[in-house]
Amino acid sequence: MKFRIWTLAAVVSALLAACGGSDPVPGTIAPEGAPTTKGTFTALVSFGDSLSDVGAYSPATSLTGNGAAPYFGGKFTNNSATSTVWVENLATSLGLAVTPAEVGFAGQSVKCPAAAISATLAGTCTGYGQGGSRVTDPNGIGKSGGALTVPMKTQIANHLNRFGSFKSTDLIVVFGGNNDAFVQFGIFTAAATKIQTDAATGKITADAASAAIFQAQIAAQEEMKKAALELAGYVKSEILAKGGKYVAVWNLPDSTLTPFGGTLPASVKPVLTGLVDNFNLWLADGLAGQPVKIVDANTQFKDVYNNPAKYGMTNNTVPACDATKIQAITQGAVTDGSSLFCNSTPGAPFNGIRAGADVNTWQFADGVHPTTGGHKLISTETVKVLKAFGWI
Amino acid sequence: MTIKAHILSVAAVSMLTCAAAQAQDNVFKLGAIRYTTNSSTSGIKGPGVPAGADAETGDATTVILVYERTLTPNLGIELVVGIPPRIKSRAIGSVAFLGDNVLSAKNVAPTLLMNYYFGDASSTIRPYVGVGLNYTKFASVKSSLAPKVEMSDSLGAAIQAGVNYAITKQYGLFASVARVDVKSDLVAVGSTVLTTSIDFKPVTYSLGAWYRF
Repeated sequence: MKFRIWTLAAVVSALLAACGGSDPVPGTIAPEGAPTTKGTFTALVSFGDSLSDVGAYSPATSLTGNGAAPYFGGKFTNNSATSTVWVENLATSLGLAVTPAEVGFAGQSVKCPAAAISATLAGTCTGYGQGGSRVTDPNGIGKSGGALTVPMKTQIANHLNRFGSFKSTDLIVVFGGNNDAFVQFGIFTAAATKIQTDAATGKITADAASAAIFQAQIAAQEEMKKAALELAGYVKSEILAKGGKYVAVWNLPDSTLTPFGGTLPASVKPVLTGLVDNFNLWLADGLAGQPVKIVDANTQFKDVYNNPAKYGMTNNTVPACDATKIQAITQGAVTDGSSLFCNSTPGAPFNGIRAGADVNTWQFADGVHPTTGGHKLISTETVKVLKAFGWI
Repeated sequence: MTIKAHILSVAAVSMLTCAAAQAQDNVFKLGAIRYTTNSSTSGIKGPGVPAGADAETGDATTVILVYERTLTPNLGIELVVGIPPRIKSRAIGSVAFLGDNVLSAKNVAPTLLMNYYFGDASSTIRPYVGVGLNYTKFASVKSSLAPKVEMSDSLGAAIQAGVNYAITKQYGLFASVARVDVKSDLVAVGSTVLTTSIDFKPVTYSLGAWYRF
């Protein structure tokens, strides 16, 4: 009879197996079908935010104060003559040039200024990333202060307007969503602060406060999900469907692993990490089965944070730019130490570097943006990743 | 529910084809079952989930119907089906503030057991032990935290010990206690994706009447 009961068990198991699997867990299906062969690249097309900004806001750092060159800043790094951001470094290593797609500040801007210098440079204006830009929302961080913050949706549309379509010789890098995380985190912390005040003054119970904070976190996560799925949607319908062949999409690094993150109370750090993780989850879900490659900046960034020496970094917690110096240089206009206004040229009157800082071995220029060394790190790792893809 | 019907028919067909020489009886049992859980989870994982977030499952009571085919005076094979009870889960740990009903599901849990009866067939009191298989499907899974929740089916061992009390040869009472292996992987999809594995570790207590024919 033992035999019979096990036969029954086998039949039951077979029936269960036949009843079909459940839906796959969102975010667990990899992209599929991206090229595996070397590309012949004629342009590096970059969409994103401040990390990929190749100088969109230079006029804000005009030495003459009227928006005209020369500029003492303009990129979210330490802005010396040899200070380049990762997108520029990557272009150089491919034998290409990349210039800002749009340059301007405070309501005035020029599209493809390089074309005005030389017609041969007209094809290089493919650096669309701008400080403060979000995925879809045109009201990015710094917009009210004059920043353009053209969202990635419009950045892509602008490229299509200018060039008609993507080419199989474009290397397309998409790295954005950080500002959506910062905006949602800001909304969350404002809500949480108010809730905690209500709890402290006895307006609501501690449990009600916890539940309300939880709801605020859910609301922020919902927005990150929306932004991530929108970005994945643009990649599909506006890049892949319009000729894009070599498309790499970065997921978000955890911004708590920055000098800015170091200033956050331990209680709210996991919320920001969660927003980033949620964005990455839904970005992966949105790109499931798509012919793109995802660059896992999140894992990379964590490794750098935990093992700075492995990457030649000696300091990853203190900004190399000095907020007090930048405040003085900008006559009090910039108080947050933004690296957009930071310059590391030795001896220059507009040098805003902290005493003792080294822009090659200190990873961060300000709270969240890399130094020259930090950007080099990103481009070096990117080259490795692109080689692993077989693209270069 | 179609699965349950399949199992029933498979079990029924199997039993009908049992052609042992001994006199074979059919026994129906009807009773109440208290389903108590001693659950543990692998922890709730997902973006932004605070450390120490957890949940535990509650208890439920429902009605069971048992069909048993006695194969020999000492051996019987039984199929236990019940009206699926709704088992609720409450949040514990760092998310205890989320309350008592963060997740609920109806447990459709047919169990097939082989019983060994001690003593003589004519005894008034006959203790028995059983071993078998439980299949649990979680139906109409609901959560206040996510619009879409899926729980994987569970197939695991079941053991029981019980006693039959014969009032007459035809009918009597029974009581049993069982320990069942019920595990399920949960995926909740909402603004984010939460996952956990739940080990329900249920112990059930049954009490009821039987009728032999």
